[in-house]
Amino acid sequence: MTSRRLIGPSIAILVLAVVLTLLQVSGLAFWQGLFVNLGIFLILVLSLNLSSGFTGVFSLGHIGFMALGAYTAAILTLPLREKHDYLPNLPAWLAGVHFDFHLGPFPIGFLAATLIAGVLVGLIAWLVGLVLMRLSGHFVAVATLGFLVIVRVVLFNADDFTRGSRTFSNVTPYTDLWWVWAWALIVLYVVWRIKRSPFGRSMLAQREDRWAAQSIGIDVMRPRLLAFVISAVFTAIAGSLYAHFITSFSPTVFYFDLTFRVITMMVIGGMGSVSGSVIGTVLVIAIGEGLRRIEDATLLYGLSQIILAVIFLFIIIYRRDGLLGQREIPLDRLFLRGGDASARQSAQVSDVNRS
Amino acid sequence: MKSKLFALLVIAALIFAACSPGGGGAAAGPIKIGGGFALTGDESALDLPAANGAKLAAKEINAAGGVLGRQIELVVHDSQYKMDVTAQIAKQFIEQDKVVGVVGFTDTDSVLAAGPAIQGAGLPFITAGATSPKIPTQVGNMMFLACFGDNVQAAAGAEYAFKNFGKNAYLLWDKGVEYTTLLGGYFKARFTELGGTLALEDSYDDKATDFSAQIAKVKALAQQPDFYYIAAMPYNVGPVVKQFRDAGLTGPIVGGDGYDTPDILSVAGAAAENVWFTTHALIDAQGGTPGIKKFIAAYNKEYGHDPENAFAALGYDSVYLFVDALKRAGSTDAAAIKKALEETKNFPAITGSITFSADAHVPQKGVTLIKIAGGKFTLGAEIVPEKVPAP
Repeated sequence: MTSRRLIGPSIAILVLAVVLTLLQVSGLAFWQGLFVNLGIFLILVLSLNLSSGFTGVFSLGHIGFMALGAYTAAILTLPLREKHDYLPNLPAWLAGVHFDFHLGPFPIGFLAATLIAGVLVGLIAWLVGLVLMRLSGHFVAVATLGFLVIVRVVLFNADDFTRGSRTFSNVTPYTDLWWVWAWALIVLYVVWRIKRSPFGRSMLAQREDRWAAQSIGIDVMRPRLLAFVISAVFTAIAGSLYAHFITSFSPTVFYFDLTFRVITMMVIGGMGSVSGSVIGTVLVIAIGEGLRRIEDATLLYGLSQIILAVIFLFIIIYRRDGLLGQREIPLDRLFLRGGDASARQSAQVSDVNRS
Repeated sequence: MKSKLFALLVIAALIFAACSPGGGGAAAGPIKIGGGFALTGDESALDLPAANGAKLAAKEINAAGGVLGRQIELVVHDSQYKMDVTAQIAKQFIEQDKVVGVVGFTDTDSVLAAGPAIQGAGLPFITAGATSPKIPTQVGNMMFLACFGDNVQAAAGAEYAFKNFGKNAYLLWDKGVEYTTLLGGYFKARFTELGGTLALEDSYDDKATDFSAQIAKVKALAQQPDFYYIAAMPYNVGPVVKQFRDAGLTGPIVGGDGYDTPDILSVAGAAAENVWFTTHALIDAQGGTPGIKKFIAAYNKEYGHDPENAFAALGYDSVYLFVDALKRAGSTDAAAIKKALEETKNFPAITGSITFSADAHVPQKGVTLIKIAGGKFTLGAEIVPEKVPAP
């Protein structure tokens, strides 16, 4: 029984591995870059969905975690010469730090920097969450937006650490297909498991009806805070991956534009659906890329952004729950005996829960 | 059901469009040059004119017979002022369009996002208008600037103001943007080096609309400064100048090429009198140089309106600069083009003559100082600064 459950996900991972290997062998930096971007956005959307979709606590501030993750990891891995040139005022204990340790060809320093960024941002998220997760609805959206603004202002003014408004550059380009997709799969797996865990159930329950959930003894604060912190950690990891991929960034990059792109992907896919996050991310990136080609051919620059916005509007009007709503594509049940029936059944159960 | 099918078809078509390869780069066709610009987004006020200028230059060069016996093709992609897209279009230029070099962009963020891929492929990259003099050391040895560095224009402003306005200055900068932060810093370095003093240094947040706090601090000064150096972004210059004047501060206001926008005249109106700023060229059909006049006429014919600002001229210059190097290199080999670029001597660009060398990829160009008088831009002075702060 359990071995059959593994068939679906195994096939998916195998297909992904083949695609990534082909991309790696082809040496085409453009397509590799597209898949790296896809992976980074997938992590962002999945982690935002964990916090906003599962618990209903709509966060507009996640890109702030991404910014903190990007800066923290990049400061740790920045080569010493660049550090001396671009960040001359770093405190001594940071100025001599250079995470360039390798285990064979494997940049373990980058992994460590990413994890440190994740843990640090997780702590910040815990502190912020202790206060903000008490709010609901519009209030929490505005409060998290406030967090985003605060992060931006801090980054601008912490000149010694971030170069302020000047572009933070010359980060070592560690991020490649394998890093991004390894992280993306880990995030996917964790988020998937959380959704099906008791914690996930209580997240969904308190999202649907806080009072009813509380009345049967489901805690509101703990699952919310847990979701918020875990999603902040993953978002920070995405930030680190982004920093070591683009290799230069400034605080302006991590602001409304990125926030709304991630939200668009999440809403199109479906808030509360893990498979929806995957589909939403892939669709928005593929459509955006396709429209960009059409722009070049027709010279109607800006078209892609208008059309994406219109698609978004139509989805909000005609399919408010996004493409998948809260349902999942049950990869692990596809190959069970009578798998179709049980899959359909689980989808229906989710639907009933929803309405 | 039909609508679903239609939606699916649309999506399939889009994905297909995304996957279809770009044009091949056969040796016999036109020579392809990449034109990377943020045609949409926050930077478009500068990048759109720059792209138009670049396209105009390509058209003129082709009309005159092209270069090396071939036509040139400026392949333009919109970076949307998104850094992930910017990095992607750099790779698109290299792998799918098979360009021999890239021109474009007017801001440091975009240049630094596109730079590593272009540098990695060993192709020459000329930025039209990103004025940070640090860019070549940040990106690498294939990176060139068509414009002067901020240290040059800040030194020009400081020297002129020191001689003509006085030794006691007020400095205000937008701390949310690299360009204004650098500009303010270079101004201070050169001005104090000359022996000037700063009565007060102050800053504001990017996209601020109210400057009353800063103005109150100026008015509280025991002795008013001789002039105000304000490093501001194009979208801020109108309001900041107007509010300074409305508060009764009438001394000269000096700034950088962020002031080079028609907005300052329309927003600040009469308040813009006695504003002086350094920029790349005076885009004026009467007061401009012969090269500028010819450019304005051609731009007007092509697009139906005058160039919006000097960035149009910089885009135009970048393409001519690149093609000049192509001609002297005698081939489309990237290393040969880079060598030719480094041997550029007194290239007559319409924004000033350009000279490069192996260790100077930022041109030492003359700076145009513009004085706003009678509700329009007039030529204040052409300056070559005596000394320039280190980048």
